[in-house]
Amino acid sequence: MASSKGKMKLEDFDEDETMEELERFDDFTLASSWERFISEIEAICRLWLADGPKNLVGKGASPLGFPKNLYKVKSQLKYGTKSYCLEYYFKTESGKNVEWTDDSHTLQLSFGVKEFLVISPLSASGVVLDAPEASKLLSSLAIALSNCDSVWPAFVPVHDPSRQAYIGIQNLGTVFTRRFEADRIGSQVPIKLMHLEGLYELFVSKFSYSTVEYTTTVAKVQFTMKLTYRTPPHEDDDDSAQVREPMESEENSEGKTQGRTQWDDDCPWTEWYSAENPIKGFELITIWLSKKVESSLEMAELENASLYAADKCFLQPILSPYIGNTIGFASQLRLLVDALGVSYGAQFLEDFVSVENPTSDNLKSSAAVPPPTVLDRVLKDLFPEGAQDVDYVKGEHKNSRAIKGAPLESLFAQFCLHSLWFGSCNIRAIAVLWIEFVREVRWCWEESQLLPRMVSSGSIDLSTCLIHQKLQMLSICIEKKSNSIKDLHKENEEKFDSLRTKQTHGLETSNEDFKTSQQGRRGSSGFAGSMMLLNSCQRMHAPYTQDAPLMTEDMHEERLHALQAFGNAFSFSGQLEKDVLSSDMSAFKAANPDAVFEDFIRWHSPGDWEDDNVNVKGKAREGATDGSAQSDWPPHGKLSKRMSEGGNSWRQIWNSSPALPVSEQKLLLDPNQEGEKILHYLETLRPHQLLGQMVSTAFRASIDTISQTSYGGLKQMEKKIEQLYITISSALKPLQASNSSDKIELIDDLKRLCLVFEHIEKLLTFAASIHRSFLDAPRLSEAIFSQFFSFYLPRMGKGLIEKENVKDFNVKEQVRASERQVILDLFPTPTSNQSWRKVLSMGNLLNGHEPLLREIIFSAYDTMSGGHYESSSPWGSSEEIETHRMYICGTSNDLHVALSVTSCD
Amino acid sequence: MDLSTSQAPEFDYLFKLLLIGDSGVGKSSLLLSFTSDTFEDLSPTIGVDFKIKMVTLGGKRLKLAIWDTAGQERFRTLTSSYYRGAQGIIMVYDVTRRETFTNLSDVWAKEIDLYSTNQDCIKMLVGNKVDKESERVVTKKEGIDFAREYGCLFLECSAKTRVNVEQCFEELVLKILDTPSLLAEGSSGVKKNIFKQKPPEDPATSGCC
Ligand SMILES: Nc1nc2c(ncn2[C@@H]2O[C@H](COP(=O)(O)OP(=O)(O)OP(=O)(O)O)[C@@H](O)[C@H]2O)c(=O)[nH]1
Ligand SMILES: [Mg+2]
Repeated sequence: MASSKGKMKLEDFDEDETMEELERFDDFTLASSWERFISEIEAICRLWLADGPKNLVGKGASPLGFPKNLYKVKSQLKYGTKSYCLEYYFKTESGKNVEWTDDSHTLQLSFGVKEFLVISPLSASGVVLDAPEASKLLSSLAIALSNCDSVWPAFVPVHDPSRQAYIGIQNLGTVFTRRFEADRIGSQVPIKLMHLEGLYELFVSKFSYSTVEYTTTVAKVQFTMKLTYRTPPHEDDDDSAQVREPMESEENSEGKTQGRTQWDDDCPWTEWYSAENPIKGFELITIWLSKKVESSLEMAELENASLYAADKCFLQPILSPYIGNTIGFASQLRLLVDALGVSYGAQFLEDFVSVENPTSDNLKSSAAVPPPTVLDRVLKDLFPEGAQDVDYVKGEHKNSRAIKGAPLESLFAQFCLHSLWFGSCNIRAIAVLWIEFVREVRWCWEESQLLPRMVSSGSIDLSTCLIHQKLQMLSICIEKKSNSIKDLHKENEEKFDSLRTKQTHGLETSNEDFKTSQQGRRGSSGFAGSMMLLNSCQRMHAPYTQDAPLMTEDMHEERLHALQAFGNAFSFSGQLEKDVLSSDMSAFKAANPDAVFEDFIRWHSPGDWEDDNVNVKGKAREGATDGSAQSDWPPHGKLSKRMSEGGNSWRQIWNSSPALPVSEQKLLLDPNQEGEKILHYLETLRPHQLLGQMVSTAFRASIDTISQTSYGGLKQMEKKIEQLYITISSALKPLQASNSSDKIELIDDLKRLCLVFEHIEKLLTFAASIHRSFLDAPRLSEAIFSQFFSFYLPRMGKGLIEKENVKDFNVKEQVRASERQVILDLFPTPTSNQSWRKVLSMGNLLNGHEPLLREIIFSAYDTMSGGHYESSSPWGSSEEIETHRMYICGTSNDLHVALSVTSCD
Repeated sequence: MDLSTSQAPEFDYLFKLLLIGDSGVGKSSLLLSFTSDTFEDLSPTIGVDFKIKMVTLGGKRLKLAIWDTAGQERFRTLTSSYYRGAQGIIMVYDVTRRETFTNLSDVWAKEIDLYSTNQDCIKMLVGNKVDKESERVVTKKEGIDFAREYGCLFLECSAKTRVNVEQCFEELVLKILDTPSLLAEGSSGVKKNIFKQKPPEDPATSGCC
């Protein structure tokens, strides 16, 4: 200590030789200059005292920011040629001074004071290097403060700044004075002082210098301790590894990456990217409160105390500085939106691919297309050999359908996801991929191969995007095309299945027999229940019928448009429906050569046949006629009034429909023609039409993917995801309107949507990470998440959290006793490989991990023994006062000690 | 065709309304009763019917395009076209036939969920044929309960006696006029573009932005 002080002083002396000379000159010749200095201090302090904290804040005292609600005012003054700065630190509200609260200034913590003064020279170092000067300053302050009856403690920074050393003084009324002293050892901490035992002895040793008489000294030592631990870096965390070994060769680190497990391995996004863990680690703070210590032996025991013995235990997540970085779906979606913006500029997708196209330079620079091998790999993934079953509903969120895109598991959605990560998701790369994609689809069509990831039956889901509808339709066309007409019949008209089974129990023979035995009967699927024809004593046959044609959204729109064009036409009907009806009638006629119009109505629209039997016997028509079909012939009844009116359009269609089984009819939906039309659509799709649908589908697929993450059902998260679905769905609406007028505005809105997505994605990564850290302590992950949530939410409007505000998240969550085991698990016992790096020496190990910081406060109290102090004592006669206090803060190679001793002058 | 003329339209709003429900409940009769004050027996609808009626309500001139769909199951996959862009949907049942009432929740409400493209579209439940009081099997209370549960308007009427027919359409339209998003869709300015494929666009100018 002494040597470093001397050295520093020499250097200083060289610089300010003349000043030093002058100062001394002042000191010794003009006794009043010191007095002037004291009264100057006194004047300043009186002003501050008179104002009081509230008024000082009103007059512009500056808040320190950290610790919260600590303010300071300052004033400059001169002593001789030297300028000093006097600062007064205070809190606005005088709360109880609780030990180990976060918001304490170092000096508050070191000396257990609330408000205080600091005087320091206005020099580069800001410390007083000269011991006499320091003590002179301190006595000046002490005199000034006692002149104005202030009990403020005052401090002077001394020695080398790195030592953070202070001396200080406080008048406690007229009798007692407290003296302060703090210093630090920056390296080579003596072994003795690394351990609690030695530190205790250090404290006790200070008693001997005391001038206060003690009744029971040693017995009254109080001890509190705060230990801060940091979770060890994850084994695969390259952070520390790279810092330590910057020379490591590339191959080496690559080899490492392959084998390692990522924190998000089980998260659904890992198929596309790996996310940085938003939580770098945790700080664990354990606190031991007010232990009475009687011997150094007890201290040795405390050094081995387990986590369970701590009075309090707090956990603070440390955010990764990379949390503000953009990775994940949001960043790719942003690129896709950019591509959409560019897409308006071209008529054909091919324009983006061709080399000689003189599109602007900004396109070229960022328009790298991945090599053919990558393209091949993507196509193989999209079109795997051998079709697999898909279930679109699986893994879908309940709000998914609100977004007009393709379902996550569908072919087009997978195309979109691949596009996001194909090259830099630029328009050229997308165009290349799309053209290849369509080529593959055409191949499937030509070869009658079912499309992968597509359902080839059912109806068209109009809530999806048009491309997906077209692919759905194409898939159905391929299925139809590849099936023979005979197969087509078999799966036709499922509603007659039951009738067919019933018929086998009847007296009549099988299907085959009808065709041969009944002259002219064609296309029958079996008896239509027990119904008999009206004009001939035969059972009615149900015909095979054509499926009603499927339509994609644009076909519906076209139809609507055509119908609307009739305007005020009094009455008309859809041609397509007429075709369907006519087809049904033709098929019915072919299956029942002797049937009349009424028979058809009885089969097709039973509600329009008023059966006399029903009126008499009630509803059981089947029962009434079953088994005695022949005896009841001919059936009684009549057409409903509306069906029997003259000029009835049904009868007109009946009259004009020829008897034709479906096999000979013109198809309502010609798979060859429809399929070809769809391929034409895909092959001539305008760039912005493709990109528009890609944006919608990519958003839907992205949120569907991330929403599958398991995060322990955290309520706020669930709600945010739900909201995001709604936000996306409404923000994408303008994309569907083909005439969205303002493209720039649209792109801006979509960019904003990407930002919203990014926020939710970040929140979700945090939720996933915290959930994985505390699988067995859901309360803890919930509590920490909601702290993060309320920290993050207000920042969402202003853009992302930056590196700087990561530090602002310093929430400490108290850990319950039942959760401590989970906490211990965060500190896996170090492998031998890891532990050699550090020589563990300070004790208080947690699963073999040394604390990051150990803070201790020793204090000794004494009851004043009355006697000659009594009359003047400001304290009650039975009052206990803290005579000694020592704050120790350190690690195995850094020790900070602050001592305050109250004495009777 | 007259919808796309560039002259100022002779109406303030154009609303698209849709009638759905089982075959024979009286949708076409209801529409005829509303548009031409008559009641006659009509052929069962094949596919869809479509009528225009101009009305003035709340000081606004309204053009109502009312689509009357077929209740026949055979046409159901085709009728999904007509749900698109409807601002109001009228679900009709026959108070003398219970199955037409139960089918509302079993069939028709599901169709609306599947095909209606308009989240805010107003739904209305109508029990028809109240003139056949002696044959009634669905009580008014049942109708009210269903409407409350499904969140829609409710009325009982008769296409034959024209009781409540006018009110039925009027209430629906008033509700649409109360709903800003539907109002915006129906305003005559927007309407012109509805069937336009895309605006003519000069690729050269929009490319350099
Ligand atoms: N008594 C009575 N009969 C009605 C009423 N409304 C309709 N009808 C009769 O009910 C039958 C069916 O009416 P439609 O209007 O054709 O029924 P719809 O709902 O259009 O039937 P589809 O077009 O097949 O869906 C006709 O015979 C009508 O005369 C009514 O209010 N009272
Ligand atoms: Mg009708």
